[in-house]
Amino acid sequence: MLSFFRDGFYKDFIVLVLVTILLGTLFSAGIAWALDAYFGDTLTDMIGEYGQYDIILHIQEESKEAAFRELERLGDQQFPGARLSETITIAGQANFFFGLPEEFRTKEVMANLPSYFAAVPGLNSHTIISDPSILIRGVHGSVSDELAQKIEELPGVRFTFTDMGNMIVLLEDPILAKALEEDIKEILGEYQLVELRFPMGFEVDTAQVGEEAIRLLEQELPGRKYRNVTAAQYGEDLNAFLKTLVEMRDFLLSYASKVRITADPEVYLIVGEQIAIQGQGAELAEGGMLTEGNVVIEITAVNGDQAEGMIIRGEIAPAMESLHQGGYRVFSDGQVARPIGQVEVENERYRLAYAIDESLRLLEELEVLSVQATDAVQNADAVLNTFQEALLQLEVLQAQMRQLNQGISGKDSTSSSEQLLVSLLINGLFQSLAQAAVQAGEDNLDSLENLDIAAMRASLDQISDQVANVQDIDVQAIINQIEYVRETLPMLGDEDIGRSIRLINTYIAGQVIPGERIQIMVENGQVDEGQVETVLRRSLDNPYLNIYSTSVGVINPDARSEIFRLLTEVRAIIAGLLAIVFTGAILMLDHAVVFSTLKYLRRAGRAKRLRWQVLNPVLLFGGLLGAVILTSVYRLSGAEIPYLSLGSIVLIGGLVGWVVARFAERFSPVNIKEVTAGQALGLSNVQIMREIVIPSSRPGLMNLLNRWKQQFRG
Amino acid sequence: MLEIKDMRKTYGKTTALAGVNLNVKQGETVVIMGPSGCGKSTLIRCINRLTEPDSGEVLVQGRSVLQLSDEELMAFRRKVGFVFQQFHLIGRLTVLENVMFHLVLAGADRTWAKEQAAAALAKVGLHDVHARKPEELSGGQQQRVAIARALAAGPELMLWDEPTASLDPILVGEVLEVMEDLVRSTNTTMIIVTHEVSFALRVAHRIVLMDQGQIVEEGPPEVIFKAPVSEIGLKYKKLLAS
Repeated sequence: MLSFFRDGFYKDFIVLVLVTILLGTLFSAGIAWALDAYFGDTLTDMIGEYGQYDIILHIQEESKEAAFRELERLGDQQFPGARLSETITIAGQANFFFGLPEEFRTKEVMANLPSYFAAVPGLNSHTIISDPSILIRGVHGSVSDELAQKIEELPGVRFTFTDMGNMIVLLEDPILAKALEEDIKEILGEYQLVELRFPMGFEVDTAQVGEEAIRLLEQELPGRKYRNVTAAQYGEDLNAFLKTLVEMRDFLLSYASKVRITADPEVYLIVGEQIAIQGQGAELAEGGMLTEGNVVIEITAVNGDQAEGMIIRGEIAPAMESLHQGGYRVFSDGQVARPIGQVEVENERYRLAYAIDESLRLLEELEVLSVQATDAVQNADAVLNTFQEALLQLEVLQAQMRQLNQGISGKDSTSSSEQLLVSLLINGLFQSLAQAAVQAGEDNLDSLENLDIAAMRASLDQISDQVANVQDIDVQAIINQIEYVRETLPMLGDEDIGRSIRLINTYIAGQVIPGERIQIMVENGQVDEGQVETVLRRSLDNPYLNIYSTSVGVINPDARSEIFRLLTEVRAIIAGLLAIVFTGAILMLDHAVVFSTLKYLRRAGRAKRLRWQVLNPVLLFGGLLGAVILTSVYRLSGAEIPYLSLGSIVLIGGLVGWVVARFAERFSPVNIKEVTAGQALGLSNVQIMREIVIPSSRPGLMNLLNRWKQQFRG
Repeated sequence: MLEIKDMRKTYGKTTALAGVNLNVKQGETVVIMGPSGCGKSTLIRCINRLTEPDSGEVLVQGRSVLQLSDEELMAFRRKVGFVFQQFHLIGRLTVLENVMFHLVLAGADRTWAKEQAAAALAKVGLHDVHARKPEELSGGQQQRVAIARALAAGPELMLWDEPTASLDPILVGEVLEVMEDLVRSTNTTMIIVTHEVSFALRVAHRIVLMDQGQIVEEGPPEVIFKAPVSEIGLKYKKLLAS
């Protein structure tokens, strides 16, 4: 095979390989650069030039015209000379860039910048993009001011301000960014946040345990300053949200119809299983399908032959009484399976609504009753007065009658017999009357006199007061509020409730609900997390305690730099992929003819047939050539594919070359008759290649280069 | 002029040459005949090493061909004209270029080469086809171009590998005619592999009969075809008689 190159073709071939590498490099790097430039320009159009803008305002798409007008007004009135630009709209969100004139780029303005835009219609959120700057993410509130002070003392820092828990360090010159990043890292390194976390539901006195922890740390790991900085941070919001969800789920559970299942003997129910009852639909039968109105229940708890569940499909009829129906297992496709026992459903929502309605009725009656009671008391009072007067008159009459009676019984005996007779008759009559009247009047009067008028009046007064008190109660307000409660009760059916509970359960199941936590700031140097854990775990003796150590802030790469860095990476990856594609293509379309010729010459020559074709020198040569071309193009084009080392690239190149050489005849068959003729005519290999093989091969780089030396163009 | 000693060649398990010995004198025309696959073509291809023999010796004017360096082999091949069964013309070149290009590549002046090529073409009866491409010619014409190409350099030895085997029977005559003329008009040593018995009878100084990679009989045509001793010779005699 070496003789093939020896007579001069090696020069042609070296030139070819060099030009191939050069072309491959230009191809890979050129296309990658063009893509990079295109994306870079597109990006610049999208996010503006470096330092041109200070804030991106994310606006709801439907409000963008109004927002634009408001931003223009804001620019004119608040920040004359401000730059405003609308960029792309993504997923219903329009984005506006707003750049402050230099004179407004002060700490006061920047710190309050988002508040200037609070009234912009449709504003969703914002992103600060002032440059040159360094962004420190997640700065702990307890050290924010201290950090700001230290960082602002660094030369090259204009000022710092915070935005949504992040600290933005505005620089005087972008060149200083790298060095200042290191300085800021050093400052951040002076602090360390040790966090003690307890699981959810674990009650802990954070102040007391925090102080205890600090005491232990000061004692066991002296030389640093420890501070209890337990404070509400971003995690609290999630905590609150999850707790709200739990509460909501509990409310929904109590609001949903209560389902109790009594399983038949030999029936075993499991949590999560679904059963069906007739509900308001057609009667269920084993083997039949569920119909509209049937109710599906998911079992939520099982205790022996008793189980509880919640309705996840269908509604039961509103009724005060419990519903008792037979339950059936149900398949996922809605087919009714075997009966499982009795199901009792209590419609708690209906009961609640019923109770509210009855309460309203009661209150309305009470209001009427209080008015009637007032009237009744007043009437009773009038009756009492009349009665009292009548009693007095009766007492007078009684006295008069008593006098008359005495008068009659005490008359003089010397009167005439006629007078005596009349007197006796009248006297007897009157006396009888008087005595009867007196007798009767005395009896009644005694009983009337025995009535405790004062007590009755006192009672009446008390009733009157109580009625007045009742009237003082703002029954209408109560009615209004109860009506409000009735109106605000969720209009949810059992099916809605069941689905909501399942959804909440699913969400909660995927969340780690944070429990109590204690945060201790360590200053003047870091402590070993392991040591801290050992000390605290040993002394606090709580198996549920988790201890973490974090930084008080993390320097985040500048978003723009990050994007451009990513673009550079993408360019390198594209260049790498193009280098591989180029190598494969150039070997197949161009160089394969050399392999074909070499393989023919080897077959026709004295070379012995190899047992292992993998060791065929032509194939090895192909591998070598592929490795050289790919590696060179890869390196020269600045390609970089993640996870592929240079060694891997050499291997890939070698493999591509080997494969192309292996199947070279398919890619570029050589005309053996013409080659043989050339040999028979005494042509050298280089002449055969230049005048016979290459000119007949596929147009390409090799063909192009060959034309310089080809004597017969044909 | 040419001496072949114990030449052997196998293709895998197939034996093409099984110890061939042959001497050819200067100016002699030797016709090699035999059934297909008997090793005739392999034998003449081994002479100029288009096929490398496994063993044996090829001596041309006392010099071992198998020991030649690459440069020497090329020089040797330039003195040996080779006519292939399937012409082996360069498809992209014109007729004239096909005949002259190896002369130019060997270092000859282009004008001289062109004259030589034209003369060679004239010798094979082709005058007006210089600018044509091989594909525009008939098979007989293409073979004559191939013969002209072999003649152009003035070879000392001409090797013919069944030059009429690929031709339509109607066109065979024109090629054989050219070959006969060449044999008669030149003093070039020729080794011709052919199945054309009558042609062999007319032009050969000696006929070599081969079978199964070996020379089974050789001698003047009148002897070989009149009183053959080999089975192959008998078959040819019968063929000639019919």
